Amino acid sequence: MLLAAFFALPLAVLVVRAFADSWRAPALVPQQFGLRGIREAFSGIALDAFASSLVVAVIGTAIAVAVGWPAARVLGERRLRRPGAVFVVLAMPLLVPSYATGNGLTEWLLRLNLADSITGLVLAHLVLVLPYVIVVLLSAFGPRVTVLEDMARSLGLTPLQRWRWVTLPAVAPTLAAATFLGFLVSWSEYGSSLAVGGGRELLPVILLPFVRSDPQIASALALLFLAPAIAALVVAARAARSPL
Amino acid sequence: MTVFGGALLGAMHASVTPLSATASAGATLDSWRALFADPAFEDSIAFTVKLAVVTTLATTGCALAVALMLRSRGTALRALASLPVPVPHLLVAVAAVLWLAPGGLADRILGGLPLELVRDRHGIGIVLVYVYKEAPFLVLLLLAAMGRELAEREEAAAVLGASPAQRLRWVVWPTVRGPLVMGAIVVCAFVLGAFEVPLTVGPNYPVTLAEYASQATQNDVLTGESLAAAALLFTAIIAIALAVIAVRFAKDPQGA
Repeated sequence: MLLAAFFALPLAVLVVRAFADSWRAPALVPQQFGLRGIREAFSGIALDAFASSLVVAVIGTAIAVAVGWPAARVLGERRLRRPGAVFVVLAMPLLVPSYATGNGLTEWLLRLNLADSITGLVLAHLVLVLPYVIVVLLSAFGPRVTVLEDMARSLGLTPLQRWRWVTLPAVAPTLAAATFLGFLVSWSEYGSSLAVGGGRELLPVILLPFVRSDPQIASALALLFLAPAIAALVVAARAARSPL
Repeated sequence: MTVFGGALLGAMHASVTPLSATASAGATLDSWRALFADPAFEDSIAFTVKLAVVTTLATTGCALAVALMLRSRGTALRALASLPVPVPHLLVAVAAVLWLAPGGLADRILGGLPLELVRDRHGIGIVLVYVYKEAPFLVLLLLAAMGRELAEREEAAAVLGASPAQRLRWVVWPTVRGPLVMGAIVVCAFVLGAFEVPLTVGPNYPVTLAEYASQATQNDVLTGESLAAAALLFTAIIAIALAVIAVRFAKDPQGA
Protein backbone atom coordinates (compact mmCIF):
# COMPACT_ATOMS: atom_id res chain seq x y z
CA MET A 1 0.00 0.00 0.00
CA LEU A 2 2.84 2.35 0.91
CA LEU A 3 4.55 1.65 -2.40
CA ALA A 4 1.27 2.17 -4.27
CA ALA A 5 0.77 5.50 -2.52
CA PHE A 6 4.37 6.55 -3.21
CA PHE A 7 4.01 6.00 -6.94
CA ALA A 8 0.35 6.93 -7.49
CA LEU A 9 -0.18 9.97 -5.20
CA PRO A 10 2.27 12.34 -6.89
CA LEU A 11 0.43 11.85 -10.17
CA ALA A 12 -3.10 11.82 -8.70
CA VAL A 13 -2.74 15.49 -7.81
CA LEU A 14 -2.70 16.30 -11.54
CA VAL A 15 -6.31 15.08 -11.83
CA VAL A 16 -7.49 17.22 -8.91
CA ARG A 17 -5.57 20.32 -10.12
CA ALA A 18 -6.92 19.94 -13.67
CA PHE A 19 -10.49 20.26 -12.35
CA ALA A 20 -9.77 22.95 -9.72
CA ASP A 21 -10.83 26.37 -10.98
CA SER A 22 -9.76 27.85 -7.66
CA TRP A 23 -7.24 26.32 -5.23
CA ARG A 24 -5.57 29.00 -3.16
CA ALA A 25 -3.09 28.30 -0.32
CA PRO A 26 -3.30 27.18 2.44
CA ALA A 27 -6.43 25.13 1.55
CA LEU A 28 -5.81 21.39 1.15
CA VAL A 29 -8.84 20.97 -1.11
CA PRO A 30 -9.89 23.23 -4.00
CA GLN A 31 -12.33 26.05 -3.24
CA GLN A 32 -14.06 25.59 -6.59
CA PHE A 33 -14.14 22.82 -9.15
CA GLY A 34 -14.70 23.51 -12.83
CA LEU A 35 -13.83 22.67 -16.41
CA ARG A 36 -11.78 25.74 -17.38
CA GLY A 37 -8.55 23.72 -17.64
CA ILE A 38 -10.14 20.92 -19.62
CA ARG A 39 -11.79 23.40 -22.03
CA GLU A 40 -8.40 25.05 -22.66
CA ALA A 41 -6.67 21.68 -23.04
CA PHE A 42 -9.17 20.64 -25.68
CA SER A 43 -9.03 23.95 -27.53
CA GLY A 44 -7.70 24.36 -31.08
CA ILE A 45 -3.95 24.81 -30.53
CA ALA A 46 -3.65 22.05 -27.92
CA LEU A 47 -5.66 19.59 -30.00
CA ASP A 48 -3.56 20.39 -33.07
CA ALA A 49 -0.41 19.74 -31.03
CA PHE A 50 -1.92 16.51 -29.68
CA ALA A 51 -2.76 15.30 -33.20
CA SER A 52 0.71 16.22 -34.52
CA SER A 53 2.39 14.43 -31.58
CA LEU A 54 0.27 11.33 -32.17
CA VAL A 55 0.93 11.23 -35.92
CA VAL A 56 4.69 11.73 -35.44
CA ALA A 57 4.89 9.07 -32.71
CA VAL A 58 2.84 6.48 -34.63
CA ILE A 59 4.62 6.97 -37.97
CA GLY A 60 8.05 7.20 -36.32
CA THR A 61 7.50 4.02 -34.31
CA ALA A 62 6.13 2.12 -37.32
CA ILE A 63 9.18 3.06 -39.41
CA ALA A 64 11.54 2.24 -36.54
CA VAL A 65 10.00 -1.23 -36.13
CA ALA A 66 10.08 -1.92 -39.87
CA VAL A 67 13.70 -0.74 -40.25
CA GLY A 68 14.80 -2.09 -36.88
CA TRP A 69 13.43 -5.62 -37.38
CA PRO A 70 16.14 -6.89 -39.81
CA ALA A 71 18.88 -5.09 -37.87
CA ALA A 72 17.68 -6.59 -34.57
CA ARG A 73 17.46 -10.02 -36.18
CA VAL A 74 21.07 -9.90 -37.45
CA LEU A 75 22.32 -8.70 -34.08
CA GLY A 76 20.15 -11.11 -32.07
CA GLU A 77 21.27 -14.12 -34.09
CA ARG A 78 24.92 -13.04 -33.64
CA ARG A 79 25.57 -13.08 -37.36
CA LEU A 80 28.05 -10.17 -37.16
CA ARG A 81 31.74 -10.74 -36.60
CA ARG A 82 32.24 -7.52 -34.68
CA PRO A 83 28.93 -6.60 -33.06
CA GLY A 84 30.70 -4.29 -30.58
CA ALA A 85 31.24 -1.59 -33.20
CA VAL A 86 27.58 -1.77 -34.25
CA PHE A 87 26.46 -1.43 -30.63
CA VAL A 88 28.68 1.64 -30.19
CA VAL A 89 27.12 3.23 -33.31
CA LEU A 90 23.65 2.31 -32.03
CA ALA A 91 24.37 3.83 -28.62
CA MET A 92 25.65 7.14 -29.97
CA PRO A 93 22.22 8.77 -30.53
CA LEU A 94 21.36 7.89 -26.92
CA LEU A 95 24.49 9.67 -25.66
CA VAL A 96 24.17 12.81 -27.78
CA PRO A 97 21.53 15.28 -26.50
CA SER A 98 18.41 15.15 -28.65
CA TYR A 99 18.40 18.95 -28.79
CA ALA A 100 21.84 18.71 -30.42
CA THR A 101 20.54 16.27 -33.02
CA GLY A 102 17.52 18.47 -33.71
CA ASN A 103 19.70 21.54 -33.88
CA GLY A 104 22.05 19.87 -36.37
CA LEU A 105 19.15 18.65 -38.49
CA THR A 106 17.49 22.05 -38.76
CA GLU A 107 19.73 23.33 -41.55
CA TRP A 108 19.32 20.12 -43.58
CA LEU A 109 15.56 20.21 -43.19
CA LEU A 110 15.46 23.84 -44.31
CA ARG A 111 17.45 22.95 -47.44
CA LEU A 112 15.19 19.97 -48.14
CA ASN A 113 12.10 22.11 -47.62
CA LEU A 114 11.05 19.88 -44.72
CA ALA A 115 11.27 22.46 -41.91
CA ASP A 116 8.18 22.59 -39.64
CA SER A 117 6.81 19.45 -41.32
CA ILE A 118 5.63 16.12 -39.94
CA THR A 119 8.30 14.42 -42.09
CA GLY A 120 11.04 16.53 -40.50
CA LEU A 121 9.79 15.76 -37.00
CA VAL A 122 9.53 12.02 -37.77
CA LEU A 123 13.14 12.04 -39.07
CA ALA A 124 14.37 13.84 -35.95
CA HIS A 125 12.48 11.43 -33.64
CA LEU A 126 13.66 8.37 -35.59
CA VAL A 127 17.26 9.13 -34.60
CA LEU A 128 16.28 8.43 -30.99
CA VAL A 129 13.52 5.86 -31.42
CA LEU A 130 15.40 3.46 -33.71
CA PRO A 131 18.24 2.53 -31.28
CA TYR A 132 15.74 1.86 -28.48
CA VAL A 133 13.60 -0.35 -30.74
CA ILE A 134 16.61 -2.33 -32.02
CA VAL A 135 18.17 -2.82 -28.56
CA VAL A 136 14.90 -4.17 -27.12
CA LEU A 137 13.89 -6.20 -30.20
CA LEU A 138 17.21 -8.04 -30.65
CA SER A 139 16.61 -10.04 -27.47
CA ALA A 140 13.63 -11.71 -29.20
CA PHE A 141 15.78 -13.36 -31.86
CA GLY A 142 18.13 -16.27 -31.38
CA PRO A 143 18.28 -20.08 -31.60
CA ARG A 144 14.74 -20.53 -30.23
CA VAL A 145 13.08 -18.63 -33.10
CA THR A 146 15.44 -20.15 -35.68
CA VAL A 147 14.58 -23.71 -34.58
CA LEU A 148 10.84 -22.95 -34.70
CA GLU A 149 11.19 -21.49 -38.21
CA ASP A 150 13.20 -24.52 -39.38
CA MET A 151 10.45 -26.81 -38.11
CA ALA A 152 7.83 -24.74 -39.93
CA ARG A 153 9.91 -24.87 -43.13
CA SER A 154 10.18 -28.65 -42.91
CA LEU A 155 6.37 -28.79 -42.57
CA GLY A 156 6.05 -26.93 -45.88
CA LEU A 157 5.01 -23.43 -44.76
CA THR A 158 5.77 -20.61 -47.19
CA PRO A 159 7.99 -17.70 -46.00
CA LEU A 160 4.91 -15.50 -45.49
CA GLN A 161 3.09 -18.24 -43.57
CA ARG A 162 6.16 -18.84 -41.43
CA TRP A 163 6.38 -15.14 -40.61
CA ARG A 164 2.66 -14.90 -39.83
CA TRP A 165 2.19 -18.12 -37.83
CA VAL A 166 5.61 -18.76 -36.30
CA THR A 167 7.98 -15.77 -36.18
CA LEU A 168 5.45 -13.10 -35.26
CA PRO A 169 3.83 -15.04 -32.36
CA ALA A 170 7.27 -16.09 -31.10
CA VAL A 171 8.57 -12.52 -30.87
CA ALA A 172 5.21 -10.89 -29.99
CA PRO A 173 5.99 -10.00 -26.33
CA THR A 174 9.35 -8.38 -27.17
CA LEU A 175 7.93 -6.73 -30.28
CA ALA A 176 5.14 -5.24 -28.16
CA ALA A 177 7.68 -3.96 -25.60
CA ALA A 178 9.90 -2.46 -28.33
CA THR A 179 6.93 -0.81 -30.06
CA PHE A 180 5.66 0.61 -26.77
CA LEU A 181 9.08 1.96 -25.82
CA GLY A 182 9.52 3.49 -29.29
CA PHE A 183 6.13 5.19 -29.10
CA LEU A 184 6.89 6.48 -25.61
CA VAL A 185 10.30 7.89 -26.58
CA SER A 186 8.78 9.76 -29.51
CA TRP A 187 5.67 10.87 -27.61
CA SER A 188 7.74 12.32 -24.74
CA GLU A 189 10.53 13.81 -26.86
CA TYR A 190 11.07 17.49 -26.13
CA GLY A 191 14.56 18.55 -27.28
CA SER A 192 14.42 17.67 -30.97
CA SER A 193 10.70 18.61 -31.12
CA LEU A 194 11.62 22.11 -29.98
CA ALA A 195 14.61 22.40 -32.32
CA VAL A 196 12.88 21.05 -35.44
CA GLY A 197 9.19 21.78 -34.74
CA GLY A 198 9.25 25.54 -35.22
CA GLY A 199 5.83 26.36 -36.59
CA ARG A 200 4.43 22.88 -35.89
CA GLU A 201 4.54 22.53 -32.11
CA LEU A 202 4.11 19.18 -30.37
CA LEU A 203 2.24 18.67 -27.11
CA PRO A 204 5.21 18.79 -24.68
CA VAL A 205 6.40 22.03 -26.27
CA ILE A 206 3.10 23.82 -25.71
CA LEU A 207 2.63 22.29 -22.23
CA LEU A 208 5.80 23.61 -20.59
CA PRO A 209 5.11 27.38 -20.58
CA PHE A 210 1.81 26.78 -18.76
CA VAL A 211 3.59 25.27 -15.71
CA ARG A 212 4.57 28.74 -14.52
CA SER A 213 1.69 30.74 -15.99
CA ASP A 214 -1.36 28.54 -15.33
CA PRO A 215 -0.97 25.28 -13.34
CA GLN A 216 -4.60 24.27 -14.01
CA ILE A 217 -4.15 24.28 -17.78
CA ALA A 218 -0.72 22.63 -17.35
CA SER A 219 -2.36 19.84 -15.31
CA ALA A 220 -5.16 19.38 -17.86
CA LEU A 221 -2.63 19.23 -20.69
CA ALA A 222 -0.57 16.79 -18.62
CA LEU A 223 -3.59 14.45 -18.44
CA LEU A 224 -4.01 14.78 -22.20
CA PHE A 225 -0.28 14.02 -22.47
CA LEU A 226 -0.59 10.92 -20.27
CA ALA A 227 -3.62 9.32 -21.96
CA PRO A 228 -1.96 7.93 -25.14
CA ALA A 229 1.03 6.67 -23.13
CA ILE A 230 -1.30 4.66 -20.89
CA ALA A 231 -3.35 3.49 -23.89
CA ALA A 232 -0.13 2.34 -25.61
CA LEU A 233 0.86 0.47 -22.44
CA VAL A 234 -2.50 -1.35 -22.33
CA VAL A 235 -2.32 -2.24 -26.04
CA ALA A 236 1.28 -3.44 -25.68
CA ALA A 237 0.39 -5.56 -22.64
CA ARG A 238 -2.48 -7.23 -24.54
CA ALA A 239 -0.34 -7.78 -27.64
CA ALA A 240 2.37 -9.33 -25.50
CA ARG A 241 -0.07 -11.83 -23.98
CA SER A 242 -1.89 -13.06 -27.04
CA PRO A 243 -0.20 -14.45 -30.17
CA LEU A 244 -0.73 -12.05 -33.05
CA MET B 1 22.23 6.36 -38.63
CA THR B 2 22.57 8.44 -41.78
CA VAL B 3 20.19 11.00 -40.34
CA PHE B 4 22.12 10.98 -37.06
CA GLY B 5 25.44 11.43 -38.88
CA GLY B 6 23.92 14.24 -40.91
CA ALA B 7 22.62 15.86 -37.72
CA LEU B 8 26.08 15.71 -36.13
CA LEU B 9 27.68 17.17 -39.24
CA GLY B 10 25.00 19.85 -39.29
CA ALA B 11 25.72 20.73 -35.65
CA MET B 12 29.49 20.84 -36.31
CA HIS B 13 28.94 23.02 -39.36
CA ALA B 14 26.65 25.35 -37.43
CA SER B 15 29.18 25.67 -34.60
CA VAL B 16 31.87 27.02 -36.95
CA THR B 17 29.69 29.15 -39.24
CA PRO B 18 27.87 31.81 -37.24
CA LEU B 19 25.46 33.99 -39.23
CA SER B 20 27.51 37.04 -38.17
CA ALA B 21 30.56 35.82 -40.14
CA THR B 22 30.86 36.98 -43.73
CA ALA B 23 30.45 34.34 -46.42
CA SER B 24 34.04 34.78 -47.57
CA ALA B 25 35.39 34.31 -44.04
CA GLY B 26 34.60 30.56 -44.10
CA ALA B 27 34.75 28.49 -40.95
CA THR B 28 35.68 30.18 -37.70
CA LEU B 29 36.15 29.04 -34.12
CA ASP B 30 34.72 32.29 -32.74
CA SER B 31 31.72 30.57 -31.18
CA TRP B 32 33.89 28.01 -29.40
CA ARG B 33 36.16 30.80 -28.11
CA ALA B 34 33.16 32.83 -26.94
CA LEU B 35 31.76 29.76 -25.25
CA PHE B 36 34.82 29.04 -23.14
CA ALA B 37 35.27 32.72 -22.31
CA ASP B 38 31.77 32.89 -20.83
CA PRO B 39 31.69 32.34 -17.02
CA ALA B 40 28.02 31.34 -17.29
CA PHE B 41 29.04 28.44 -19.53
CA GLU B 42 31.57 27.24 -16.94
CA ASP B 43 28.85 27.38 -14.29
CA SER B 44 26.56 25.43 -16.62
CA ILE B 45 29.16 22.70 -17.10
CA ALA B 46 29.70 22.34 -13.34
CA PHE B 47 25.94 22.37 -12.62
CA THR B 48 25.08 19.87 -15.38
CA VAL B 49 27.84 17.40 -14.56
CA LYS B 50 27.00 17.61 -10.83
CA LEU B 51 23.32 16.94 -11.62
CA ALA B 52 24.15 14.02 -13.90
CA VAL B 53 26.54 12.34 -11.47
CA VAL B 54 24.34 12.82 -8.37
CA THR B 55 21.20 11.71 -10.23
CA THR B 56 22.90 8.64 -11.70
CA LEU B 57 24.35 7.54 -8.35
CA ALA B 58 21.07 8.15 -6.49
CA THR B 59 19.03 6.39 -9.19
CA THR B 60 21.26 3.32 -9.41
CA GLY B 61 21.43 3.05 -5.59
CA CYS B 62 17.64 3.26 -5.23
CA ALA B 63 17.04 0.90 -8.15
CA LEU B 64 19.43 -1.73 -6.80
CA ALA B 65 17.83 -1.58 -3.33
CA VAL B 66 14.27 -1.80 -4.72
CA ALA B 67 15.16 -4.60 -7.17
CA LEU B 68 16.75 -6.67 -4.39
CA MET B 69 13.64 -6.09 -2.28
CA LEU B 70 11.19 -6.94 -5.09
CA ARG B 71 12.89 -9.92 -6.72
CA SER B 72 11.17 -12.47 -4.49
CA ARG B 73 7.83 -10.59 -4.45
CA GLY B 74 4.74 -11.04 -6.64
CA THR B 75 4.01 -9.43 -9.98
CA ALA B 76 1.53 -6.91 -8.48
CA LEU B 77 4.27 -5.17 -6.50
CA ARG B 78 6.59 -5.23 -9.51
CA ALA B 79 3.87 -3.65 -11.65
CA LEU B 80 3.35 -0.91 -9.05
CA ALA B 81 7.06 -0.16 -8.92
CA SER B 82 7.14 0.21 -12.70
CA LEU B 83 4.17 2.62 -12.74
CA PRO B 84 6.27 5.75 -13.52
CA VAL B 85 7.96 4.12 -16.55
CA PRO B 86 5.28 5.12 -19.13
CA VAL B 87 4.83 8.56 -17.58
CA PRO B 88 6.66 11.30 -19.56
CA HIS B 89 9.37 13.25 -17.70
CA LEU B 90 7.60 16.54 -18.21
CA LEU B 91 4.48 15.20 -16.55
CA VAL B 92 6.42 14.14 -13.45
CA ALA B 93 8.00 17.60 -13.39
CA VAL B 94 4.54 19.23 -13.47
CA ALA B 95 3.45 17.01 -10.56
CA ALA B 96 6.66 17.94 -8.68
CA VAL B 97 5.83 21.64 -9.01
CA LEU B 98 2.29 21.06 -7.69
CA TRP B 99 3.66 19.13 -4.68
CA LEU B 100 7.01 20.71 -3.85
CA ALA B 101 6.91 24.37 -4.94
CA PRO B 102 6.46 27.08 -2.29
CA GLY B 103 2.71 27.05 -1.49
CA GLY B 104 2.43 23.59 -3.02
CA LEU B 105 0.64 20.63 -1.46
CA ALA B 106 3.59 19.39 0.63
CA ASP B 107 4.11 22.92 1.92
CA ARG B 108 0.42 23.15 2.90
CA ILE B 109 0.30 19.70 4.54
CA LEU B 110 3.54 20.11 6.54
CA GLY B 111 3.09 23.83 7.24
CA GLY B 112 6.37 24.67 5.49
CA LEU B 113 9.19 22.70 3.87
CA PRO B 114 12.61 22.67 5.60
CA LEU B 115 14.39 23.50 2.33
CA GLU B 116 13.63 24.77 -1.14
CA LEU B 117 13.04 21.91 -3.56
CA VAL B 118 11.75 23.64 -6.68
CA ARG B 119 13.87 26.18 -8.57
CA ASP B 120 16.55 25.86 -5.88
CA ARG B 121 20.14 26.69 -6.75
CA HIS B 122 21.37 23.12 -6.15
CA GLY B 123 18.78 21.46 -8.41
CA ILE B 124 17.39 19.17 -5.68
CA GLY B 125 13.97 19.19 -7.37
CA ILE B 126 15.54 18.10 -10.67
CA VAL B 127 17.30 15.17 -8.96
CA LEU B 128 14.07 14.12 -7.19
CA VAL B 129 12.10 14.13 -10.46
CA TYR B 130 14.76 12.07 -12.25
CA VAL B 131 15.09 9.54 -9.41
CA TYR B 132 11.30 9.07 -9.29
CA LYS B 133 11.16 8.65 -13.07
CA GLU B 134 14.36 6.70 -13.84
CA ALA B 135 14.74 4.36 -10.85
CA PRO B 136 11.73 2.20 -11.93
CA PHE B 137 13.26 1.90 -15.44
CA LEU B 138 16.47 0.56 -13.89
CA VAL B 139 14.49 -1.71 -11.56
CA LEU B 140 12.86 -3.33 -14.61
CA LEU B 141 16.28 -3.88 -16.22
CA LEU B 142 17.67 -5.39 -13.01
CA LEU B 143 14.69 -7.67 -12.36
CA ALA B 144 14.91 -8.96 -15.95
CA ALA B 145 18.61 -9.71 -15.42
CA MET B 146 18.06 -11.41 -12.06
CA GLY B 147 15.52 -14.00 -13.20
CA ARG B 148 15.13 -17.48 -11.71
CA GLU B 149 18.67 -18.63 -12.51
CA LEU B 150 20.15 -16.12 -10.09
CA ALA B 151 18.09 -17.50 -7.19
CA GLU B 152 19.32 -21.01 -8.02
CA ARG B 153 22.95 -19.84 -8.13
CA GLU B 154 22.50 -18.02 -4.83
CA GLU B 155 21.05 -21.15 -3.25
CA ALA B 156 24.02 -23.15 -4.49
CA ALA B 157 26.40 -20.53 -3.02
CA ALA B 158 24.52 -20.62 0.32
CA VAL B 159 24.79 -24.41 0.42
CA LEU B 160 28.54 -24.01 -0.10
CA GLY B 161 28.65 -21.72 2.95
CA ALA B 162 28.71 -18.23 1.37
CA SER B 163 27.45 -15.44 3.68
CA PRO B 164 24.75 -12.99 2.43
CA ALA B 165 27.44 -10.35 1.83
CA GLN B 166 29.59 -12.83 -0.10
CA ARG B 167 26.59 -13.91 -2.19
CA LEU B 168 25.85 -10.27 -2.97
CA ARG B 169 29.46 -9.63 -4.01
CA TRP B 170 30.23 -12.82 -5.93
CA VAL B 171 26.85 -13.98 -7.28
CA VAL B 172 24.39 -11.05 -7.48
CA TRP B 173 26.78 -8.23 -8.46
CA PRO B 174 28.38 -9.97 -11.48
CA THR B 175 24.86 -10.70 -12.77
CA VAL B 176 23.45 -7.20 -12.42
CA ARG B 177 26.62 -5.19 -13.17
CA GLY B 178 26.12 -5.17 -16.97
CA PRO B 179 22.50 -4.01 -17.12
CA LEU B 180 23.06 -1.62 -14.21
CA VAL B 181 25.98 0.12 -15.94
CA MET B 182 24.13 0.19 -19.27
CA GLY B 183 21.05 1.70 -17.61
CA ALA B 184 23.18 4.16 -15.63
CA ILE B 185 24.87 5.38 -18.82
CA VAL B 186 21.48 5.94 -20.49
CA VAL B 187 20.23 7.84 -17.41
CA CYS B 188 23.41 9.93 -17.15
CA ALA B 189 23.36 10.84 -20.85
CA PHE B 190 19.68 11.74 -20.67
CA VAL B 191 20.22 14.02 -17.65
CA LEU B 192 23.15 15.72 -19.38
CA GLY B 193 21.14 16.55 -22.49
CA ALA B 194 17.48 16.93 -21.52
CA PHE B 195 16.04 20.24 -20.49
CA GLU B 196 12.29 19.95 -20.01
CA VAL B 197 12.78 18.95 -16.34
CA PRO B 198 15.38 21.68 -15.52
CA LEU B 199 13.17 24.25 -17.29
CA THR B 200 10.22 23.21 -15.14
CA VAL B 201 11.74 22.68 -11.69
CA GLY B 202 15.32 24.00 -12.05
CA PRO B 203 16.80 27.36 -11.00
CA ASN B 204 17.09 30.41 -13.22
CA TYR B 205 20.85 30.35 -12.54
CA PRO B 206 22.94 28.28 -12.99
CA VAL B 207 21.25 26.58 -15.93
CA THR B 208 22.01 23.21 -17.52
CA LEU B 209 24.03 23.05 -20.75
CA ALA B 210 20.92 22.34 -22.85
CA GLU B 211 19.14 25.33 -21.26
CA TYR B 212 22.25 27.43 -21.93
CA ALA B 213 22.08 26.43 -25.60
CA SER B 214 18.37 27.18 -25.79
CA GLN B 215 18.87 30.61 -24.20
CA ALA B 216 21.74 31.35 -26.60
CA THR B 217 19.44 30.90 -29.61
CA GLN B 218 16.88 33.25 -28.07
CA ASN B 219 19.37 35.92 -26.94
CA ASP B 220 21.28 36.47 -30.18
CA VAL B 221 19.89 35.85 -33.66
CA LEU B 222 23.28 36.17 -35.38
CA THR B 223 25.58 34.06 -33.21
CA GLY B 224 23.09 32.19 -31.01
CA GLU B 225 22.60 29.12 -33.24
CA SER B 226 26.35 28.68 -33.60
CA LEU B 227 26.95 29.11 -29.86
CA ALA B 228 24.13 26.64 -29.10
CA ALA B 229 25.55 24.05 -31.50
CA ALA B 230 29.00 24.36 -29.89
CA ALA B 231 27.53 24.03 -26.37
CA LEU B 232 25.49 20.97 -27.37
CA LEU B 233 28.44 19.29 -29.06
CA PHE B 234 30.47 19.89 -25.92
CA THR B 235 27.64 18.26 -23.91
CA ALA B 236 27.79 15.25 -26.24
CA ILE B 237 31.55 14.98 -25.67
CA ILE B 238 31.01 14.99 -21.88
CA ALA B 239 28.30 12.30 -22.21
CA ILE B 240 30.53 10.05 -24.33
CA ALA B 241 33.52 10.58 -21.99
CA LEU B 242 31.41 9.69 -18.92
CA ALA B 243 30.06 6.60 -20.72
CA VAL B 244 33.60 5.42 -21.55
CA ILE B 245 34.69 5.96 -17.93
CA ALA B 246 31.62 4.06 -16.66
CA VAL B 247 32.25 1.10 -18.98
CA ARG B 248 35.94 0.91 -17.95
CA PHE B 249 35.06 1.26 -14.28
CA ALA B 250 32.49 -1.52 -14.53
CA LYS B 251 34.83 -4.05 -16.14
CA ASP B 252 35.94 -6.78 -13.76
CA PRO B 253 39.58 -7.94 -13.53
CA GLN B 254 38.73 -10.93 -15.77
CA GLY B 255 37.67 -8.47 -18.45
CA ALA B 256 33.96 -9.35 -18.42
